[in-house]
Amino acid sequence: MDAGRIAPQRERRARLFLLALLAALALVLLAAYLARPEGVLVRAAMPEQGGWLPAELKARVGEPLRLRLISEDVTHGFAVGRHDAPAVDVNPGEYREITLLFDQPGKYVYYCTRWCGLNHWRMRGTIEVVSAGQPGSDGQAAPAEPPLYLQLGIDIDAPHPAAVVPEGRPRAELTAGRISGLPEHYRSREYYLSHSPSQAWQALRQEPAAQALSDEQLWSLVAGLWQAQTRVERLEFARQQYNQNCAACHGAQGAGDGVAARQMADGAGSGPVMGMQGHGLQKPSSFADPGAMLGASPALLAGKIVRGGMGTGMPYWGPIFDDDQVMALVEYLYTFQFDYSLEVKDE
Amino acid sequence: MTKTSLHAVLPWLVLALLAALVLLLPLPVAAAAPRARRFRIEASQFAYSPAVLRVNPGDQVTIELAPQDVVHGLSIDSYPVDLQADPGQVASLTFTADRPGVFKLRCSVTCGNMHPFMTGKLQVGPPTLLWRSLGLALVALAAALLPRFK
Repeated sequence: MDAGRIAPQRERRARLFLLALLAALALVLLAAYLARPEGVLVRAAMPEQGGWLPAELKARVGEPLRLRLISEDVTHGFAVGRHDAPAVDVNPGEYREITLLFDQPGKYVYYCTRWCGLNHWRMRGTIEVVSAGQPGSDGQAAPAEPPLYLQLGIDIDAPHPAAVVPEGRPRAELTAGRISGLPEHYRSREYYLSHSPSQAWQALRQEPAAQALSDEQLWSLVAGLWQAQTRVERLEFARQQYNQNCAACHGAQGAGDGVAARQMADGAGSGPVMGMQGHGLQKPSSFADPGAMLGASPALLAGKIVRGGMGTGMPYWGPIFDDDQVMALVEYLYTFQFDYSLEVKDE
Repeated sequence: MTKTSLHAVLPWLVLALLAALVLLLPLPVAAAAPRARRFRIEASQFAYSPAVLRVNPGDQVTIELAPQDVVHGLSIDSYPVDLQADPGQVASLTFTADRPGVFKLRCSVTCGNMHPFMTGKLQVGPPTLLWRSLGLALVALAAALLPRFK
């Protein structure tokens, strides 16, 4: 027998073995392809390191948008403004998959819900949702009506000192019985939205029905009017949102002394603010200061929340809270001035 | 023969007895009556303040976690404690310190590059383990020096 030759059966077996190996490899690759994770990978990093990557997403109305979220550094959170999907935490080393469904076209803003660093509040991204029906058409949402502060022509950047301030902290329950004797327009929503408490106090001071009231009692009356515009559930909702989104700068008691404000420049506003250099950046405003707070109408405060800015690090919340949620927050801000007793029924 | 060997073994027996006493003797520490304690812990990158909590066994311990810069957490080894809070919020929890010993406090939220080193400790009762090991070390020292005095 020739020693250098391989038996034909052995060669056939070796070829078969190789073929089987290749087939198995192809199967494994196919299985891996079929089992691949679906969705858009969105990485979260501290804003100094890039924030959301990518920060712009696209979606269609009625088609689920799958996202795979992962953090590159610290714990972040993910939520979409004006959307009812609950916020999720995004942790390093762990994919978080969520599916979003939009039923209205428009531009949605997603934002970080965990204080991940000094510039946490800058961590925003947008999802552009177009109508599924007409690709290419602009599929924009119906233009929203302008916010109230623009309709009323309020300059939200101008100072708004209160013309009069109370001696102490007005208590609303003193007035529960007295509100009924007033002209009806003071109790309307329109009056409340467009007038500051100090304007209401000055107008009421001229009312014959209020002549018998002392200044302090009149302030209690104003507090009672303001209380009548809110409800316990609204204040509770707003308190939670305030503590989560606002208290780190404005302070849990609204005094503008939140933990993030400690690193900010004082009123002069030329030092490093929230880790950035800039001119005109100031500390967050204090809701505990009656001179500023009682001179602000609900429409003005809502405008500040919606637009942000004012030369401070205040982010804009318009794309995140809807109008009613913003108004609930405004109602909550007045509790830093007034003592409400919401057990009392005014009607 | 027996006499000399007993003479040689006796000091070692005494030392062994001493070691057993150090290990097992109940310490004459008056047990404090359990009471309620409240700690406000300010957390910032990358430390707790205060970082050491001393309580007595049986105390009702309330911990308030108040982060000062970014989101932080707090968990305690061997105790069912896990808190998380964003700055501006205070998370609190009450538990009974029914396990004596020293337990590590750890940050449970990835808060930055030094996050793994953000720890503290909860000390329940006196550090008996430390005292007993010091006593045992003294006994061992005596045993080491014993042959020199023969």
